[in-house]
Formats: sequence, structure tokens, C-alpha cells
Amino acid sequence: MKGPQDSATVARVQVSFRLNGVSFRKRVPVDWTLLRYLREGLGYYGTKCGCEIGDCGACTVLYDGVALNACLILAPQVDGVDIWTIEGVAPQGERGLHPVQQAFVERGAVHCGFCTPGFVMSTIALFLETRNPSRQEIKEALAGNLCRCTGYIQILDAVKTAASRLRDRDLKKFVSRRR
Amino acid sequence: MREASVIAPRSLREALRAVGRKGVVAVAGGTDLLVRLHDVAAGERPSFLVLDGVRTLHSIAPRGKGLALGPLVTFSEIERSSLLRTLAPQLVEAASVAGSVQIRNRATLGGNIANGSPAGDLLPPLYVLSARLELSYSGGRRQVMIEDFFKGPGETVLRRNELITRVVFERSQNRGFFLRLAVRRALAISKVSVAANVSLRNGRVQSVRIALGAVAPTVLRASRTEEYLLGRELDRDSIETACGLASGEAAPIDDIRSEADYRREMVGVLLGRGLLRIASAR
Ligand SMILES: Cc1cc2nc3c(=O)[nH]c(=O)nc-3n(C[C@H](O)[C@H](O)[C@H](O)COP(=O)(O)OP(=O)(O)OC[C@H]3O[C@@H](n4cnc5c(N)ncnc54)[C@H](O)[C@@H]3O)c2cc1C
Repeated sequence: MKGPQDSATVARVQVSFRLNGVSFRKRVPVDWTLLRYLREGLGYYGTKCGCEIGDCGACTVLYDGVALNACLILAPQVDGVDIWTIEGVAPQGERGLHPVQQAFVERGAVHCGFCTPGFVMSTIALFLETRNPSRQEIKEALAGNLCRCTGYIQILDAVKTAASRLRDRDLKKFVSRRR
Repeated sequence: MREASVIAPRSLREALRAVGRKGVVAVAGGTDLLVRLHDVAAGERPSFLVLDGVRTLHSIAPRGKGLALGPLVTFSEIERSSLLRTLAPQLVEAASVAGSVQIRNRATLGGNIANGSPAGDLLPPLYVLSARLELSYSGGRRQVMIEDFFKGPGETVLRRNELITRVVFERSQNRGFFLRLAVRRALAISKVSVAANVSLRNGRVQSVRIALGAVAPTVLRASRTEEYLLGRELDRDSIETACGLASGEAAPIDDIRSEADYRREMVGVLLGRGLLRIASAR
């Protein structure tokens, strides 16, 4: 939600959550969306702000292991939740990308890149359900994400490529402790 | 300027105490609410009553011969419930085609009902399942049939101090379907939808309920079509006549999503597809 609010004066509520595997205890503005809080509150700009009404999927994050639009959930609703954003996807402390990211690069699935974090998060959510999705299952899992440059063929190919390379440890950290 | 706040009750009692208060609005999945509040200026925003933490409102459970669903059951949970797949196939079909994965993971049954859109995809299935709603307030509750709940687009009989706390329906051993048309498969609101619940005996229609979505101010029962079908065999002729009748019962309008004529025509087409499916599954 937009608003001229000055973040110093806004009402806040205390919440605890995990973000990309790290525990946080924070006072979050009561009527900010998670999207706004990630970007303006915590400086995590990887989650993109597109339509802000759930249509484009650019703000997709993992919320207790499932994909949702960070623009359609209030920041206070992260209390007790395990959140993953694009910043946490690549393996920590190692060089290099996650196999899903690597496949997107190799298959030309990234052009301007604005939609990519959302697509990557939706893809990981899909893999948490099924490791070997059919093309139809991939289409359905990604139907909530829009891309306006590459077209979708490259993205579907990237997901297929990623599926063929995925190992258990590439998904382990995303599995929510609460599910 | 009123300060927005968040109330996150852990029990239904607590939730019901808060719901009637001035400036308080209930949040289930937030997928309708946050879109609506998008452009609301800071000082004008309500206090949010976040229902998530009330565990008893999340359940899918048998009740008597039927089922009782909590209002916080999400579209994804409906989609995955094997109990619902056998007992309420229409509802499962509707929940699996709506929105997108992200939306289905948040959007709730209760939100779809309370929002009161004639295009709400779970509503035609609930009509043909003869669903009953339990509305609770601090100190009591009442029951309302789904057909009596809606007054017009976005208008319902829900009072300011009430929450939808259960959605109950009888188990249906019948055949059913939900079909819809939208501008594309995902992330689009229905232009028109049709749900039905049909039971056949010796090849004849023993009971039938048909509901039409997005073609009138509220979801509509196609009662003349139902009457016509009763006792008949489902063959090409009877299906064709039923489709024509159902088109005539729709009262659609032109709006941004579609035109009245097209909607009317498509009511018949969708009903025909569904009935043929039932006829050939015998
Ligand atoms: C991108 C997008 C796509 C969509 N696609 C579809 C679609 O294909 N089909 C479809 O039907 N809908 C669709 N919707 C609309 C929406 O997702 C559904 O209507 C959903 O069911 C709303 O549920 P919610 O839990 O998110 O409601 P909320 O936004 O939390 O609440 C909606 C309203 O209901 C009230 N409310 C919620 N729960 C209760 C309760 N238990 N008791 C009393 N009042 C309550 C709230 O106060 C609010 O006024 C879409 C929405 C978006 C943003």
C-alpha cells in the first residue's frame, strides 16, 4: 500500500520471523505490506514491486514453504513465519548461483531481469512439491508470474534444466520447519 | 487521523469481541482487502483484525452426514483435500482454477463468501451443495442458507459484529462440475461460470441443482432449467433444451470483463459441456 507516511511516526507491532534462515525480532509498521517492509524497512530490494495487486508475481516470496505475493500480506502477518526471498537463494558463503538461478542464466530466461526473482521463487516452491514437474505442471505453477521480455519458452526450458540437475541439498534449507 | 493497529486474536471469543468495534476490519487471506486498500491514504486505514491465529477456523471436518469447513480454509487446501474431492468435486474444481498458485495459497473460503462478488468462483459450487453458513457474534450465532446471504454485488446480510465461522453442507454422492470462462486461464476473474450437482437413477435425472456465476447481481439458481431436467434422460436433445433455458434465465450485464450477449450465450455452452461430461461418464 502506498502512503505518504513517515516511517518514524507509524504505529508498529513487534514480530519474530525468520528471513533467509536468519531469525529477526522487529517492530514492523502495522499497515505496511510485507513487500514494502522487505524493501523499505529492511533494504531487501531483490523482491520486486510490480503491480502491487497480486497480478504480476514480481514480489513472490516463500512463506512457510509456499509461494505468495508479498504485496498482498501485511507485515505483521510474518509473525512466527519462515520467509525466503531471492537474496537467500544462492548458497551461502560459496561462490556461484543456485541451480535454478544458473539454469535461468544458461537458458536465456533472464532479459531485463525484473520478473526473475519472482519466477525463481515460484520455481523453488514448485520443486518443494514435485521434483520432476511436467511442462503442464510448470506452466500452472508459474501462471501467477508475468514476464514481458523473454517470452515464456526460455523460462519453461530453464525450469526443466534446473529439474534435471537438482539435488536434495539444493532444496533443504527452503523446507519450512513449521510444515 | 486515526492510528491503524493490528489485532491478532488466538481464540474465536477474542476475535468476536473485536470484530464489532469501530474501524476494525477482519483480514483472512487479504487478497481482496489489500487490493481494495491499496490507494487508501494512511490516516484512513482501518485496524486489522488478523484471523490467521484462530486455529479452529482452519479445519476441514466431517459433520454428521456432511462436512464443516472453517472460513480460513484456503483455495489450495480445498484443491488438495481428498475428502472434498469425493464429496464436493465442484468446489475442488473451482478452487483449482481460480487466481494463481500465489493467490490460492492465501485466498480463503470465508473471504470469497464475505466479499460477495457475483463472480466469486466458490459461490456457484456452494449454491449447488446447498451450503449453510454459520454467522457468529459475541454471545451467539445464527445460520443462514447461502442463497439468503447475498443481497447484491458486494452486499450481504453479514452484520458488522459478525464473522462467518463455518460453512456446512451435506455430503453429495452426486456428479458435479464447475466450469468457467475468463480472459485467460490464470489470474482472471470469471466472465461467466456454471456449477451443477446432478444425481441420476436408471439413466434419468433424479435431482439437479444448477447455479450461474457472474451473470446477475448475485449468483443465480437456474430453477426453470432444473425443473425441465428432472426425470429426463441426459441426451443430446434434453441437454440442448436445458442449455437454451439456462441462457434465458441468466440476467447478465455489459461490463469491463464481458458483454451481456456473450455471457448469456456462454451460460448455455458451459452447461452443455458439463452435462455432456456427466452423461458420458455413466
Ligand atoms: C490477482 C487476484 C486474482 C484473483 N482471482 C480470483 C479468481 O479467479 N476467482 C475468485 O473467486 N476470486 C479471485 N480473486 C479474489 C480473491 O482472491 C477471493 O475473493 C478470495 O476468496 C478472498 O479471500 P481472502 O481470504 O483473501 O479475503 P480477504 O481479503 O481477507 O477478505 C475479503 C472480505 O471478506 C471479509 N472476511 C474475510 N473472512 C471473513 C470471515 N470469516 N467472516 C466475515 N468476514 C470475512 C473481510 O473483512 C473483507 O471484507 C483474486 C484476487 C486477486 C488479487
